[in-house]
Amino acid sequence: MTRSTGTVKAGGREVTRAEVEDFLYEEADILDAWRYDDWLALFEPGARFEVPATDWKGESAFASGSFVTDDWDLLRARVKRLKSRKAHAENPPSRTHRMVTNVRLHEHDDPALLRVTAAFLIHRARDGEFDPYAGRYDHLLVVDGEGLRFRLRRAVLGHELLRPGGRLSFIL
Amino acid sequence: MPEPQGASLPDRLIVEDWDGLTFRVNRFAYRSEEIFERERAHIWARTWLYLGHETEVAEPNAFRTRVLGGRPLIFCRDSDGTVRAFLNACPHRGTVLCRENEGSTKLFQCFYHAWTFRNNGDVAAIPGKDAYEAAGEGFLDSMRLRSVPRLEIHEGFVFVAFDPDVPPLLEYLGDAADYMTMIREQHAAGMEVLPGTQLYSVRGNWKLAVENAMDGYHFSPTHNTFVGYLRETGFAVTDDDQYAYNLGNGHSLLVLTGHGGRISMLWEPRFGEDEKRRTEAHRAEMDERLGPERARYVADESHILFVFPNLLLFDLEGLSIRQLEPAAAGRTDVRAWQLAPRGEDEDTRALRMKTMVSFVGPGGLATPDDIEAYEAVQRGIEATAGDPRPGMDFSDMSRGMVDEVKGVQGRSIDEGAMRGFWRHWIKAIGAEDALAATGPRPAAFLEGRNVR
Repeated sequence: MTRSTGTVKAGGREVTRAEVEDFLYEEADILDAWRYDDWLALFEPGARFEVPATDWKGESAFASGSFVTDDWDLLRARVKRLKSRKAHAENPPSRTHRMVTNVRLHEHDDPALLRVTAAFLIHRARDGEFDPYAGRYDHLLVVDGEGLRFRLRRAVLGHELLRPGGRLSFIL
Repeated sequence: MPEPQGASLPDRLIVEDWDGLTFRVNRFAYRSEEIFERERAHIWARTWLYLGHETEVAEPNAFRTRVLGGRPLIFCRDSDGTVRAFLNACPHRGTVLCRENEGSTKLFQCFYHAWTFRNNGDVAAIPGKDAYEAAGEGFLDSMRLRSVPRLEIHEGFVFVAFDPDVPPLLEYLGDAADYMTMIREQHAAGMEVLPGTQLYSVRGNWKLAVENAMDGYHFSPTHNTFVGYLRETGFAVTDDDQYAYNLGNGHSLLVLTGHGGRISMLWEPRFGEDEKRRTEAHRAEMDERLGPERARYVADESHILFVFPNLLLFDLEGLSIRQLEPAAAGRTDVRAWQLAPRGEDEDTRALRMKTMVSFVGPGGLATPDDIEAYEAVQRGIEATAGDPRPGMDFSDMSRGMVDEVKGVQGRSIDEGAMRGFWRHWIKAIGAEDALAATGPRPAAFLEGRNVR
């Protein structure tokens, strides 16, 4: 997983940056629209979702404290929770506005996989406050003839710490 | 230390009525910057504060920077292996000396005038030192790094005090000390803090974070979705046999046995079959090492320990350390670490991290609802600020007060631990006159665990 180019061969075909961008933009719209079942459909079964702590230096989620380290069971539990009106930290839901940019494709040792990095900026409105979250995505996507799915979805905050009111009760 | 002016504090910060069995706290206590300043001066400047765990500076020359009571600090292990805490300010003109969050160094150099200090506090170099020649060697001594006046360590937990006249740490910790020992005793190899710190800030008063941790009453309604998740994974959450203890000096404890399993100590189905075998083996080792009675206290009960004023130990499925740093009356900075057995096998460690992070922390399935709750309190208590009708601007913490009259141990789903906290708090800020009691007040309140 080294070179970054506009086109990468993965899953036995050419994947273009435009295809990956469309995938990430669609995900952003899904999350901003609070369509969590559709969001879960972007993952392959067994996939993971990680948000490392702000002082993360690259350790595995098992060796280090983090904000989110969801395996497939926990990811589904998270979605189920967020759809419940008893998810008090998101009832009423935050309003979010996501921007995804600087999308880059990286070859991966596993020919079925594609590593994608991107920058994100999310604004969240809640409780009369308006808070920004900036960072980068470092995803592993599995590629097949149908399209793209997350195997690992990782959001790495660029912050030194979570600012007041910054709890991650929504999806970063 | 000068006494802050208390004249404008409300006459009644706490109202206890032993005829009506009510206990009420003036909401001014959560909102007022004057109270906040008084807490800084009377509590943060005068009591032992939790700084960090010695395994965070495991090797000689390791350092971390931290802020306690608003004061920037360097927490380090010097080249000889001694754990130290310095005020993070150059003795020359006050510049923050160390501007990294963590690292390893033998020398701290101020970038402003290049004054340089060894990590034991000695002056290593002052450029153009001859200009101070007349003052002699006494000058260099006077320019050593300023140590925090007191530093003591209990079971790896490092505490500091800005007041040199605090009592010895163990005396201050009292009954809380043994629960910290129980944490160390969980594993023969001892415990260490893992990398990956949850650093976050909350729009709420620090005392609301303390209350929330000592409040078993909120668990089912607030964490409805998390309780549902536990049920689906085969665990029945109960409120049975769960108690709240005041341990003296403002420290308090919840003992929870119906809350959940404990990684490597008390198995539950969501931990899986492999963990069941490991737990049985570890439990046999604990029985051998600690004796069955002690092993039962160490392994079979979950504990939430609050060490007044800034340390919370969540000894639940796994272990989290949480440190509170009040930044303003309505804002608290929180730092949380995972504490884990040294040399734990990889599978257990992976299970531990997954399990703890799923519950505890600002991205977990439960903590965000806690934060929502006390941020909502902080906003809601504005509703009654300055309300001229008597008694309006008070929060109620009467639940289970009848136990105090009877001398019976309170439950974790009552509010006895909060009452103990507030009774200590009002003494600690030097405002005991603002506790108004009516009716026959018990001569003493239950403390510790022998009553169980």
